[in-house]
Order: sequence, then C-alpha cells, then structure tokens
Amino acid sequence: MEFLLEIMTEELPSSHAKSALAQLEEKFPQEMKTSGLEIFELRAIGTCRRLVLIADLGERQPDQEEIVTGPPRTAGLAPDGSFTQAALGFARSQGVEVDNLQVIKTARGEYLGFKRLKKGKSTPEILEEKLPALIAALNFPKTMRWSDKSFRFSRPIKGLLCLFGGQIVRVSLEGLVASNQTYGHFIHSPQELSVHSYQEYCQALKEKFVLVDPAERKEKILEGFQKKLISLKAQVYPDERLLERLLWNVECPLVIMGSFPETYLSLPLEVLSTAMREGQELFSVVKGKKQLPYFLGIADAPADPKGYILAGNERVLKARLEDARFFWENDLKISLAERAEQLAEVIFQEKLGSYADKVARVEKLASYIADRLNLRNLKKDLLEAVSLSKADLLTEMVREFPELQGKIGGIYAHRQGWSETVSRAIYEHYLPASWEDPVPDSTGGAILSLADKLDTVVGISGTGYAISGSSDPYGLRRNALGVVRIILDKKFHLSLYRLIDRSISLLQKKLSLPAEQVKEACLELIGGRVRFIFEKRGYSYDLISAALAPGLDYLDFTEARIKALNNLKSSKNFEQFILMVKRVKNILKEAPKSRLDPTWLSEKEEKELYSALNIIKKNAEEMMARGDFVGAQKIIFRLQAPLNNFFDRVLVMAEDKKIRHNRLALLAQVQSLIEQLADYSQIVVTSESS
Amino acid sequence: MMNMQNLILALSDYWAGQGCYLAPTYDLEVGAGTMTPDTFFRVVGRKPWRVAYVQPSRRPTDGRYGENPHRVQKHFQFQVIMKPSPLNIQRIYLDSLVSLGINLSEHDLRFDEDDWESPTIGAWGVGWQVMLDGLEITQFTYFQQAGGLELFPVSVEITYGLERLEMFLEQKDNIYDLKWSDDVSYRALRFREEKEFSIYNFEQADIAMLQSAFNADEKEAQRLIGQKLLLPAYDYCLKCSHLFNLLDARKAISVTERVKMIGQIRTLVNQIARLYAEEEGES
Repeated sequence: MEFLLEIMTEELPSSHAKSALAQLEEKFPQEMKTSGLEIFELRAIGTCRRLVLIADLGERQPDQEEIVTGPPRTAGLAPDGSFTQAALGFARSQGVEVDNLQVIKTARGEYLGFKRLKKGKSTPEILEEKLPALIAALNFPKTMRWSDKSFRFSRPIKGLLCLFGGQIVRVSLEGLVASNQTYGHFIHSPQELSVHSYQEYCQALKEKFVLVDPAERKEKILEGFQKKLISLKAQVYPDERLLERLLWNVECPLVIMGSFPETYLSLPLEVLSTAMREGQELFSVVKGKKQLPYFLGIADAPADPKGYILAGNERVLKARLEDARFFWENDLKISLAERAEQLAEVIFQEKLGSYADKVARVEKLASYIADRLNLRNLKKDLLEAVSLSKADLLTEMVREFPELQGKIGGIYAHRQGWSETVSRAIYEHYLPASWEDPVPDSTGGAILSLADKLDTVVGISGTGYAISGSSDPYGLRRNALGVVRIILDKKFHLSLYRLIDRSISLLQKKLSLPAEQVKEACLELIGGRVRFIFEKRGYSYDLISAALAPGLDYLDFTEARIKALNNLKSSKNFEQFILMVKRVKNILKEAPKSRLDPTWLSEKEEKELYSALNIIKKNAEEMMARGDFVGAQKIIFRLQAPLNNFFDRVLVMAEDKKIRHNRLALLAQVQSLIEQLADYSQIVVTSESS
Repeated sequence: MMNMQNLILALSDYWAGQGCYLAPTYDLEVGAGTMTPDTFFRVVGRKPWRVAYVQPSRRPTDGRYGENPHRVQKHFQFQVIMKPSPLNIQRIYLDSLVSLGINLSEHDLRFDEDDWESPTIGAWGVGWQVMLDGLEITQFTYFQQAGGLELFPVSVEITYGLERLEMFLEQKDNIYDLKWSDDVSYRALRFREEKEFSIYNFEQADIAMLQSAFNADEKEAQRLIGQKLLLPAYDYCLKCSHLFNLLDARKAISVTERVKMIGQIRTLVNQIARLYAEEEGES
C-alpha cells in the first residue's frame, strides 16, 4: 500500500536537503525490513522546504511465535512431576492454563514456559514507532535549536504529513502531529491543502506552484535557459554547482534574462561571472569565450507580470559590477611585485610562518622539480611566477571574492607586462581546487601548483595535525588529491619519496614531528587519494590493493601497474598464476629467512626454476625500469611452468634442514621478484570464492 | 509617499504590534545592531524578550568617499529580537513586508542559506539572508551562541538594512537619491559625513592614538569586570571593537595582530556574558 511522508521545514541549505533525502533513502528501507515489512518502489524527492518519501509498503508485520519462559524447571516442577506454587503463579500472571506449561531448553538451562503467537503490528503502528527516531537521527554538518525546543535539526520543522493507504498516520515529533495537510508555494499559495494519495499530492502542489521532483525542476530550468539563449546564439557559462544549489532553493523555477551596461565588459570574464554568482546567484552568458552583456537568473515565482523581478536584479547587478570595477581599478595601481613584498605580514599557518616563508620554500621545491624533469629552460619564468603567486592575497578583489585567488593574480600579472608563461602559471596554480576541476594546462602552472600543494601537505602533516572525520580545515585531502592528479595527468616521472624528503628538509625547523613520521603520514594521506582516484576510474578494490603494495614512489609506475593488472586480469593464465603466488606465499609464511646457495640445488626441477628465474628476473627488471609493466607481467607469467614442475616433483619441506631452507630461499627469491609488480595475493579469484 | 522616515515608522508600528518594546538607539559606535546591550545581554538567560530599534551601524572599511551608489561607512539597521522565537516567525516577517505595501506575489522572495557569526562577541547563529528580486534586504538568524554561551531558549534576530529596503521601495539606483522625509534627502543628511569620515577612516585616523586608546579601553574593561560592573565593562568592549575597525581601515593591523586583537575582545566579552548569566541565574 502507498506510503507518503512529507517533512515540512523552513528553508534547508541545498546540501542538507540532498543529504537528508539520501539518508532517508538508505535508512528507511533498513528500518522497515528489520521490522519485517516488505518495501518496494522507494523514492525520496523534495525541495528546500519539504523532504518527501514515497514507498509501497506491506500492510502489517507477519505474526511471530514467541516463547515466554518462567521459573526454572527445578523450581516449577515438584519431584513427583506436579506443578509447584511458582509454576501456578507464573501461569496465572500470564493468563494461561497451567497445563499449557512445558519444559523449554535454553542456553541457561531448562525452564518452564509456553509458546504463543504474537500478532504482527500493523504498518501504521510501526511507522508511528519508527519514524520519529528516524527523522531525529538525520545527520547534518551543522544543526540548530529554535524557540524553546531542545530538538536539533538543520532548520526548524514546521509540519508533518504522513499517509498510509490514504489514511493519516499520526506520527508525532516534538509537539507536531502528522496530518494529511500540506501547503503550496509559501508566497504564491500558502494555504493549507488536504490530500489522500501521492498522485493527489503532486497534482495539488503543481497547481499551487510547487514542483516537488528536482528532476522536473531541472528540466524546466534548462528548457528556460534554452529558450532565452536561442535568439542570441549564446551559451550559459557553465556552473554546475550554482545550478545544483538553485535547483533546491526554488520550488517554482522561473528563468529570467537581463542585461547590464556594456561598459562593464572591460572587466575580465572571471570577475564578471564571480560578481554575478556570489550573493546574487546569476549565471553569465557567453558566446564562445566572450562575455555578453547579459545574465540568466532563476527566480522562485510562477511569472514576472510587472517585470519587477528582472528590473530589480538588473539594478542590483549594476551596483555589484560598479563595486568590482572599483576594486579592479584600485588593484591595478599597485604592482604585484610591490605587493609580494608585504607577504611577510600575512600568516600562512601559525607554526609554518608567513606566506613569504611559504613562497621561499615553494621556489626551492619548484626549482628542484624543474631540474628533475629536465625543464631548465622553464626555470626563470617558473621562479618569477612563484615569487608573485601569492601577491594577489593582498588585493581588494581577493578580499571581496576569495575564490578569485590565483586567477586574478594571473590576470593582473598579464596586465602588468609579465610573460604569458608567468601569468598562466599564476592563474592556474590553485587548480585542481575540486574533483571536478581540471589540472593546470601549462607545465609552469602544474609545477607551481604541485610544489605549493606538497608544501601544504607536508607542512600541515608535520605540525602533527591529522584529519578527523569530515573536518579538514586545511584542505589536506584536497591538496593531496591535487598532488596525485597533477603527477598522473601531467605524466611527471618524479620520485615522490625524494620530493617529500626535499620538502621536509625545507620545512625542517618548523615541523614538530620527526622526519620519518611526517613522511609516513604524507604517504598514507597520498596513498588514500591514489586509491580514491583508482576507484573513481572503476578499478576493483583488490586490484588497487595489489598495485599499491610495491609503493608510491613513481606514481606514473603505480598507475602503469594497475593498468597492466587490469589488462591481464582476463587472460587465461591470470587466475592460475595468482593461485600459484598464493601458494608460494603460504609456504613462506612461517619460513625462516635463509640464503640461497645454488650449489645445493640438486633436483632437475629446482635447477630449472633457478635458471628460469634468473633470466626472467633480468628481463622483467629492465622492463619495469622503463615502465613497461604489461611486458614485465607477461614475462613473469612464464615462471608458472617451472614453478608447477617444481611443486609437482620437488619436496620443499625436505627432511634435511639445509636442503629445506635452500628451497625456501629459492621460493623467497621468486616471491621478491613478483612483489615488485604487485601483491597478487590481494586479488580475489573466482575459483576461491566458490 | 515612501521615505526612510515612513519606513522606520511603519516597521516600528508593525513590531510594536507584535509585542516588541521600541528601544531608543544605543549611544555608542557599533558595527551592528546585534552588539548593543538590548540584544547582547537579553539573548542570554531564560527570560522572554521582545525588542525593536533603529541602530546606526559603522563599518569604516565600507566607506567610499560618497562616490559609490550603495556602499557607505555608516548605514542604518532596523533590529528585531524575539525570544523565544515564535514558531510562525517567518510568516510574521513576511507580513511585515506586506505592511510596507510590498505585494509579494509580484516579486521573487528567497531565504538563502547564510549563517552568521561574530567572532568579536563570541556569537553565531543559523539562518538566511532574505533576497528580494536579487537584493539582500534582511539578515534572519536563529541565535545559537553569544559571549561563548549556548543560548536557550533561542532568540530570533531580524535585521533589516534600511537603506537597501528603501532603495527597493523607491526603486532608486543611488543611495544618495533616497528621501529621508519628504523635504530632506539622504544626500543632504549624509553625503558630507560619508566623504569626511572616509578621509578620516582611511587616511587621517591617528594610528598611534587609536592603538593606545585600544589598549587603555581594553584595560578599563578588564578592571570593570573585576568590579562586576558588567554593563560599563561591555561598553568598553564596544569601544575596543570600533577602534579595532578603524585600525583595520587604516590597514594598520597584520593578520597575526588581527587574530590576537579579536581574541582579546572576545575573551573579555565571554567573561562578561558568563558573569551576567550567573547573576541572572541567581535572581
């Protein structure tokens, strides 16, 4: 039967609304299933003002047999088998005939008791019992209290609607009792509405200017954009995050398009689009990469009959652009080089010193990276870029719009006559700032960004700070992710271990932890990000663990290893090979370490394994050194035949201790070669799981 | 017929009708209506409280020498506190806009996520900025903490930006074109003040004098806390806060000093709030 729940709230932040729905979608079915109710066709939709859950639920819990135990057998039955007073009292208190008592065996011993059929609860009863706790347990990054209630939620809850099979379920929460009433758009139709089914609910709300389904709202917005843009042959400057936010903030989306005076087009696109987005939540309109003097906005209204909405937005935007121009003109009066001199006054992090200190470290680190990558020609420009990179933190524009940091520095540098390479590198050096962001396009930007981020990761980790849960105020995860993505995407062949060592030595006096511990913390953090990226790329968990085992030194090689594993995993040798590797590992598990003495090899098969190993090892190591992990893996598969023969014909656990140890040492050499490629024992194969 | 004066009268009338006591403007420089004793002390403790008042708000760094059409170093706020927050407070607020003659069905009104915090007075709250056709006209906050204390029951704070709202009502693009009354313009009242104070705030304020005044006032606040004279002590904290803002406008504060000075004021304010709450609890 149809179940419908609506939690009416004051305006939730869009991220909170989405997360609450995701939690309901996960937890509600679990609750219902543990209560023994069947559940089908669950949907969670909503807006900033309502969280809605719809499902098809079973009508009641199945009846259950219940065992009720009373006194221990010894106390309940007299030696002659008759019931004692204790048994009679128990039967009376339970309202059963004493003859119905029987001996029941439990883990604690034997008791007198009886079985009875416990009637399953009806679904409304279960909902009344479970829903309040489920709603109260929703998690939000920040919660609040209101009025004189001790209850906490993201924003105040205004009402509840709950129906099962068209009937009201009187769920109660903090003084509110659910009814069958909701309300339409808070401005355009705030009156209460009574509904009896989901279909009626959607229909009624649609008539009262509310689209409950985010997918419908999105479609309406995108259609609206299309209609407005078609005659201009223009595009909206893409901003998924803004679109996603607005999608949840409005119940009745209305697309408006307005314009602003062309004189503001002298401001760069980055400044214009930021001024539009921040505070006013408008999209800029572009043709190719050129800004047009238009904007798109999303209002929460059925129409703009008198044009007030459009005119109001145009007026506000003009004032904002006027302000942006004030910052732009003031900022350009002072050169970035002059500003950079004041960075000693700006603290990067309490223990790690000023931005001037950071810039000095990043210069050395960037220079080191350029040397390692044989990019000496780039060094002059690169170092100029580093020295100017943080100067824009002192501009009015960044003070007003912090997310323009870097970009605006690059634009000012270009304006002030610095080379394209220098200004590009500054412009791009915060990239990637999020998972969606690309890595810097220019090599200079990539090196600057890598050095800057690594300095932050090493420095912050070195102060003893560790991320806990969702709290990551220094953006350690984001910075570590940036380090990994730049090295991988730009195909930088760099020793990460040495890079971290170098960064540690530059920071040394400022770090509170010993170097080894800092390095370990950084590698754990970075390893976690590598894993995250590989998972996003669709590699399976076990392959990732296998490929990461040999280490993270050259990340391009780590990537080549997972690619090779993934390529070969469907080849026919793969599974047999892995079983073989596991066998070797098992045998070696408790074996003492010993040295191999080839003169002690006596059997034909062990001699053959030894000579095959030597040839394969030489070839494979050459291949690995140049990053050919597919080739290396293929050649290592050739150990299979000699290993098979070895296991078939040679007794590893020979009685003679010296021979036994020698054979184990031979296998250890095989294993150490294989482990340079991957820890194959991590890989799950089908024949094992059955 | 609309002008600033009528707007103030209409809001005063409306909120008095909601049971608010109309407080006179506080006579010290503050950055926001939140900082005056009528809000700061009254949101602490269990006693119900309803108040509304106009408060000039001084933000020296926002000065633009009278040249920017909407930024000024002093603007006027209409501040409302209701404790505990009524359950239908959003509706009460919307009706206040209707009482100003705004036909909401012809506009786009939105409550946009905007949590508020003031590190100087150890306060934060959860709420929204209210946007009317893209213009922020009100800050709407459920106070969760002040003076470092968890607040219960929870007060709601509604702060209208009077100039913003009036620009909306008069459909003006320039703040100086607003009318204060039918005969007196905003320009006539305030233009010279904006220009002279911008010059003072950005160029002329004597840094050494401000710094020593800050230190003296901070010391005085501390001494008064020792005497349990909490309201006078709080006044000296407000003076420190304004001196800090002036030093900031003069760019005389490095980032480290900034954190340190804000911390100094907060420590005092938190002590005052704690002692005040203890005394309230006793009575």
